[in-house]
Amino acid sequence: MTSDQAVTGARPTTVGLPGPAIGAGGRPDPVTKAFTFLTEHAVSLYAASLLRIGYGLLYLVFLLREFPNRDEIWGPGSPWTPALARELFGQTGWFSILTLSDSTWYFELCYFFALVTAALFALGWRTRLTSVLFALVVASFHGRSIYMSDGGDNLIELMAIYLMVTDCGRRWSLDARRRPRRSAPTAQRQLVIARRMLSTLLHNCGMFVIAAQVCVLYGAAGLYKVQGGLWRDGTALHYVLNLDLFQPWPALSAQVDSHLVFSAVAAYLTVLVQVAFPFAVFSRLKYVVLCLLLTMHLGIAVLLGLPMFSGAMIIADAAFLSDSLITRAVAAARRRWPR
Amino acid sequence: MNDTSGPAVPLQRDGGTGPADGQEPGAWAQLSRPVQLAVTGAVALCVSAAVVHVALVFLYVAPANTVSRQYQSQIDAWIYPYFEQDWRLFAPDPQSTHQQISARTSTVAANGVTQTSDWIDLTAVDDAAVRHDVFPSHTAQNMLRRAWDAYETALGTDARLTSRRTLMLQEYLRNIAVQRAATRVHEPFDAIQLRVVTTPIEQPSVRPVSNRPAASAPGVRYLPWWQVTTDDL
Repeated sequence: MTSDQAVTGARPTTVGLPGPAIGAGGRPDPVTKAFTFLTEHAVSLYAASLLRIGYGLLYLVFLLREFPNRDEIWGPGSPWTPALARELFGQTGWFSILTLSDSTWYFELCYFFALVTAALFALGWRTRLTSVLFALVVASFHGRSIYMSDGGDNLIELMAIYLMVTDCGRRWSLDARRRPRRSAPTAQRQLVIARRMLSTLLHNCGMFVIAAQVCVLYGAAGLYKVQGGLWRDGTALHYVLNLDLFQPWPALSAQVDSHLVFSAVAAYLTVLVQVAFPFAVFSRLKYVVLCLLLTMHLGIAVLLGLPMFSGAMIIADAAFLSDSLITRAVAAARRRWPR
Repeated sequence: MNDTSGPAVPLQRDGGTGPADGQEPGAWAQLSRPVQLAVTGAVALCVSAAVVHVALVFLYVAPANTVSRQYQSQIDAWIYPYFEQDWRLFAPDPQSTHQQISARTSTVAANGVTQTSDWIDLTAVDDAAVRHDVFPSHTAQNMLRRAWDAYETALGTDARLTSRRTLMLQEYLRNIAVQRAATRVHEPFDAIQLRVVTTPIEQPSVRPVSNRPAASAPGVRYLPWWQVTTDDL
């Protein structure tokens, strides 16, 4: 670091550079830089907003799709009765708004509340508040139907909790349209600055946790598969494609299943990409891996009839898209299709 | 980096007018000492919370190891219930059997004769509901499948039904069966029984490399009759 400092210290622009802590050479030390970065530079604001919009809409679609089955899944008439749910919550410490009352009217009210919350969250209206309500809704519904859930529900619940601490309403939201009109009086300046620093800090920590969570997810899913004989001999997809509950289009499943080489290659690629994910996200290879995962999840959504699970995974992958990539893509799209 | 106190460093300097590359130069310097202290504390707290959370999630998901065994109680206390996770979809191996669950009901008639219904194929109803649906419902894809999985797993370690959890799962499974049977059997019934037929999925046409046992005859498992009260119907 010393030689580096000597070089930059000689530059006139950096000599008098202001900063919380300035090293002997006139350049902030790594700790200060990290500190400044954490509190003043919010990373991946667009990705966070993509996650907000994605999970908000996905949950809204899910609630609308299950509307005819709402009582059977979450309501007082569910085979997992309110009494059973309450007993399980007593053992695990979970909280759900749904078990506070067994009345049908209360349940319908909660359902309506959940629909509105998911929509407002996707729109980014008073995001700080709606993100907390969204997490409350998702956790309440997930816990109530824990024995009907799959990996997709699990991921949405985790992400709803993590998104509470992020600034997921700063871009592409109703809040973002309103915000420029506000200006704080100078008397409250200190508080405004401190508040913004804290929210940036929380956001950065939240995005770090989200990214790490996705890495853990893929790493674990890949490494579990490495231990399975069927993934090793390349026949796993054959068994997956023959499960009746994951076969909405039997002719299509049979078609894919009949290509033995394709099935084996796809099985190997799945394991490889999942295991590689936590390492690949730190390199240029990231976009190749993300494209492969997108293809894989689109395949799962259609072939196995798991659109909710696949959707949750695809949205989670969006956490790795950098702001510069997204802004460039948006600019390119605007040039191509001007309004 | 020999100073490990981390974020405390910025406080040791006074008179700075702002961060090097922030959007607003001087943001830090505009804060009074107590506020700077509070922000520094928040940074330390948030960063350590994030790192500890990720470490605990990793240890929870990773295979049992010396570290996770030693800190088992701390890991569980943090993970359960909200951060619980399971990423074992189709892993380590996808299910290689079909499980077909049927139910039948029985009624004791006024003359004391027990009448038993035919078997109702509950799995076939779910399969049919999934067919040609772009967004299959959790009620078809997950409800019965996961209830049976959870109950079977619980029975594996608790065959004598000593654990409360096993009994809860049994009640859940019974309720599902009762609700579905009630749509087929139009008279009230006193008891219900489940039968699970397990058939291996045929191996791929090419000779498989693994030494999986060849497809064997289906296994049939009958669960005991469970009483049904009028409240359940």
